[in-house]
Amino acid sequence: MIGPNRIGASPLSRASLLAFRVAGYALVAALFLAPLAWVLASSLRRPGPLYQYASPLSWRLFIPDRPTLANFAHALTSLGMDRALRNTAFVAVTTALAGLVVNSMAGFALAALSFPGKNMVFAAVMVAFMAPFDAIVIPLHRAVSSMGLVNSWAALILPAVGNGMAIFLFRQFYHEYPKEILEAARVDGASWLRLFWQVVLPSSGPALAAAAVLIFMHQWNSLFWPLVAAYSEKYTMAQVIVASQIAVDGTRWASLFATSVLSSIPPMMLFFLLQKHYLRGIGGFGGN
Amino acid sequence: MKRVLSVALTLLILTAVTTALPAVGAGVGAAASAAAATRLEVVWMGWPKDLLDEQLAPFLQANPDIELDIQAVPFNQLFQTLEVRLASSQPPDVFIVDGPLTASYAHRGYLMPLDSLIYEEELAEFFPASVEACKYRGVLYALPYTSSAAGLYFNIDIFNEYGVELPPQKPGDRITWEHVLELARRLTVDSNGDGQPEVWGLLIEQSDRPYQLLPLAESLGARPLSPDGSTSEGFVNSEAFIKAARFYGDLFNAEKVSPVGILDAPVVREYFGSGKAAMMLGAEWNISRLAEFEGFNFGLSAHPAFEGGRAVTPTGGWHVGISSRIPSDKLDAALHFARYMTSREASAAWARLFGNAPARRDAYEALPDLFSNYMWEVLLYDMEHTASPRPVTPAYLEFEARLKDAFNAIQFGADPTEALNEAARLIDRELARYR
Amino acid sequence: MSRPPTPAQPSARLAPIQRQARLRERLHPTHRNLRSELLATAAFLAPALALLAAFRLYPAAVSVAQSLQGGSLQAYRELFADTTFLKSVRVTLAYAAMASPATVAVSLLLALVLQGSGRVRSLVRTACFLPSTVSMSVVAVTWGMILDPHFGLANSVLSAVGLPRQLFLASPVQALQCLAALSVWRNAGYWMMFFLSGMEAVPKSVYEAAQLDGASPLQCAVTITVPLLAPTLGFVLVSNTVVNCLAFAPVFILTRGGPLGSTNVLMYEAYKSAFTYLDMPRSSAISTLVLAAVFALSFLELKLIQAGFGGDRQ
Repeated sequence: MIGPNRIGASPLSRASLLAFRVAGYALVAALFLAPLAWVLASSLRRPGPLYQYASPLSWRLFIPDRPTLANFAHALTSLGMDRALRNTAFVAVTTALAGLVVNSMAGFALAALSFPGKNMVFAAVMVAFMAPFDAIVIPLHRAVSSMGLVNSWAALILPAVGNGMAIFLFRQFYHEYPKEILEAARVDGASWLRLFWQVVLPSSGPALAAAAVLIFMHQWNSLFWPLVAAYSEKYTMAQVIVASQIAVDGTRWASLFATSVLSSIPPMMLFFLLQKHYLRGIGGFGGN
Repeated sequence: MKRVLSVALTLLILTAVTTALPAVGAGVGAAASAAAATRLEVVWMGWPKDLLDEQLAPFLQANPDIELDIQAVPFNQLFQTLEVRLASSQPPDVFIVDGPLTASYAHRGYLMPLDSLIYEEELAEFFPASVEACKYRGVLYALPYTSSAAGLYFNIDIFNEYGVELPPQKPGDRITWEHVLELARRLTVDSNGDGQPEVWGLLIEQSDRPYQLLPLAESLGARPLSPDGSTSEGFVNSEAFIKAARFYGDLFNAEKVSPVGILDAPVVREYFGSGKAAMMLGAEWNISRLAEFEGFNFGLSAHPAFEGGRAVTPTGGWHVGISSRIPSDKLDAALHFARYMTSREASAAWARLFGNAPARRDAYEALPDLFSNYMWEVLLYDMEHTASPRPVTPAYLEFEARLKDAFNAIQFGADPTEALNEAARLIDRELARYR
Repeated sequence: MSRPPTPAQPSARLAPIQRQARLRERLHPTHRNLRSELLATAAFLAPALALLAAFRLYPAAVSVAQSLQGGSLQAYRELFADTTFLKSVRVTLAYAAMASPATVAVSLLLALVLQGSGRVRSLVRTACFLPSTVSMSVVAVTWGMILDPHFGLANSVLSAVGLPRQLFLASPVQALQCLAALSVWRNAGYWMMFFLSGMEAVPKSVYEAAQLDGASPLQCAVTITVPLLAPTLGFVLVSNTVVNCLAFAPVFILTRGGPLGSTNVLMYEAYKSAFTYLDMPRSSAISTLVLAAVFALSFLELKLIQAGFGGDRQ
C-alpha cells in the first residue's frame, strides 16, 4: 500500500503511518455512515418510538437488541416493494444502456469532431441539462401524452435517455482523448462510426462507468415524474413506495427505513461493481 | 470492447439480481379479470398499501366486473400530482379530494356534478358540515370519505407526576385556552437547569397549519374571509384574529411552553408519545396512533376555547370525486365505487384500519367496540355541535399557503400584526384573480 | 511551477502518420469528404439531440413562452418589484456559494485520498458513495432528527462536550448552512466518483516519471493530478453549480422555505408559484431567470478553468 518513494523509511514510521491512514479512513467512513447506520439499525428493529434511543442518547441507536427482518418481509410482501424494485431496476438499467450509447456519441462529436454550429449545439445540450424539471414537467407531460406514451414503460424510459449532464461528462472526457490515435485511424480509412465503436468506446471504461451510475441514479431516484407519467399500479417505482410511508396522519417509521434500505442496495451494488472500471490502480498515492 | 461489455454486463446482472427478489406479493391487481370488466383508474392518498388492499378486498370480491387500477400517491406529492394529471388529457376516473380543495377543482371544471346522480336520501347519514364541504355554489361535487375532529390530548403520567389536576374528559366540557396556558407553564419542566425543557407544556400537532389554528381565531369571533369569500382584508388581520395569533406566537416565544420549529406532524406525535410533552392539540387519528406507543398513558379533553369566546372546533376531511371527463361507459362503475368507499361499511372499516373519523353517523354505530369510549364521544359531540368547516373558496390552495406562511413566521417570532397584514395583502391578490 | 510532462509516447510513434494526414487533407479538400464528415457528425448527434429537443428543449421553450404570457414582460416586471423574490435570489446564491465549493473540495479530497486499488479503499469509497443512494425522504427524517433543536443528536453531542445547544434548522441563520452541510454529506461521494473516473485518464507514465524525480504524494496531487483533471474539474464544478442553483428537494422536504424565508430558494418559490399559487407565468419567469443565470455562470466557470489551467489540450 505504501508508495515506492517511501521504501527507505524505517519500519516504525511505516507502521505508524499505516495506523494513521487506517484511522483516517475509519473517521471518514464513520462520518458518512453514522446517519446511515441509524437508518439500518432502525430498519432491523421492531416498530417503536422514533426517539427511543436518540434522546437520551444510547448506543442502542446503532445496534438493535433483537434484530428482525420482519420489516423487510413486510415491505416485500405487503407494501409492493418487490414489484417496485423490479420495475425500477428495469427502467433504470434500460435507460442507462440506451443512454450510454446515445450520450457517449454526442459527447464524442462535441469533443472530437469539427462541424459548423458546434458551440450552439453544446449550448443547447447545456440548456437541456439545466432546464429545471419542475418548470418543464407540465409541458413535458403534455408532449409525452400527445405522443401517446403516457402510462407506459416508454414514458418512464424515453425522456431520460438523452441526458445533457452525461453528454457534458463525455465531452469533457473525450477532450483528453489523444487526437493522434483518431487521426491515424482516419488516415487508414476507418469511418468515424467504426472508429468510435472499435477504438474509442472500448477505451472509455472510466467515463462509461461514471455515466452509467449517473443515468442509473437519475432514474432510480425519480419520484415525481413516475407519478404523473406512468400511473398504473403495475408501473409503481421504488421511491414512490418509500415516500408513501410518510403521511400527516400516520408515518410508519419501520417501513420507511426498511423500504429505504432496500432501495439503497441496487445503486450501492452498481457503484461497488463498477469501481474497477474507473480504478485500474494507477501510480501515485501508494497504489500498485 | 471488453470494458464496455462489462459495464453493460454489470448493469444486467443488477437487474437480474433485483428481479430475483422473492416475488411473494401477489397484489390485488394481479387477479385475472374477465374481458368485459370495467377498468377504473383511481388516484388515492398513499396510505399504507396493505391497509388499502384490505379495505378494497370486499369491493373487488363483490364486483368481479370492475377492475381497480389504484395509484397510491405519497401525501407530499399528492396535490402536485393531481394538478398535473387533472389538467392533462388523461385525468383519473375517480380521485381523492382534500376537502377544502373541492371548490378549487369544481371551479376549474375537474369534478363531475353529482346532483342528478346521487339521491338526496343517500346523504341523510352524513354530517351536514361534511356534505356542505362537498358543495360548491350549491352543487354537490363529491362524497365525504372521512371527517375529522381535534381535541386536547394529555399525558396522564406527567400530570400525575407533577400533581396537576387532569382536564375534564366529558363531551362538551372544555377548558379555556387561558387555562391551557397556565397548565402548560406548570408542566414545562427543565429539571437539569440547562435551559432546555425535558418536558414541554403544549404541542400543536400541525403546528403551522390553518386547519389546526383557525379555530383559535374563530373562538374569538374572527373569520378568515368575508362572508362572500371575496376578501380577507379586515378579516384575516382583524383585531380578534391578531389577538389569537399573538396567543399562538407567545406559546413558542414569550411563554416558551411549546417547542419552536417542530413542523412535521409525525414528529410532533413522536414527541408526545415519547413523553416529551404534557399536552398535544391534535386530530382524532391520534387515538389510534398514540395507542401504538407501548404503555403510553394518555387521555383526551374537548378542544379548548377562549375565555368568553365561542366553542369552535376544526373539521373537514377527504372526499371522493369523479372526473368531469370520465368516459360515459365508466360512469356507473365510478359511481358504484364512490358509493362503496363512502358507505357505512367502508367508512367504518377505514376507521378501524387507520383511525380516521367516518363522515357518517351510522358508521359509529357499526363499530361499538371501537367508538364506545369517552374519547370518541368527546370528538363526536364536537363534530355535531361545534365543528366549523374551513372557508369555501376556489382560491383555498393559495389562501391556505399564505396563511400557513404567516403562522409559520409568527411561530418563529415575527410580529403577528405585520405577518397577518402581509397575508391579507397576498390573499386578496390571489382572490382578485377569481373575480 | 513546472508544467506536467505530457504523455510523449503515442504522439512520438504517430507523428509521421499525423503529418502525412494533414498533408493529404490539405491537398484534397473534396466536397465528398466534407459531406461525409457532416453526415457522420449528424449520425453522432442526431439521436441525443432529437431526444433532448423533444423531452427537454421543447418543454423548456413552452415554459419560457408561458412566462411571456401575451407577449408582455409583466411577470418579470412584477418579480423585480417583489421582495420575496429578491430575498429568494440572495438565499439561492448564498446556498450555492456555500454548497458548491465545499462539495467540490470534499469530493476532490476524497478522490485523491481514496484512489487506487485495495479492498479497504474500495469499501471506504462505497461507504462515501452510500449517502447519495438513500431516498430523500429518509435523508430528511434522519437529518431532521440529528438536527432537531430540542432532542436532536447533534445537540446531545454538543451538550456532552460542554458546548451550547443550537437551533439548527429552526434558526433563520443556521438553517441554510445546515442544508448546505447536508448537501455536502449527501453528494460528496457521488461527485468523488467523477473525479476518480477523470484520474483514470491520467497516464500512469506521468506519475512514474514524477516519482522518479522524488515528488511526494502531495506534490504529485498538486502538480500533476489536479491540473490534468481540468476537464473533470470543469464538469464537476459546473454540474455542481447547476445542481445547487436548482436545489429543491431538501428545502421542500426539510424546511419548506423557513424559518422566516431563510431557506426559500428560487426553485422552491417557483414550485410554490406553480402548484400552490397556481401562477404559471410567475413560476415560469423565475425558472427562466434561473436558467439564464446558471447558464451564464457555467460558461464563466468553464472559461475560468480553461484560463487557470492553460487551456484544453485539444
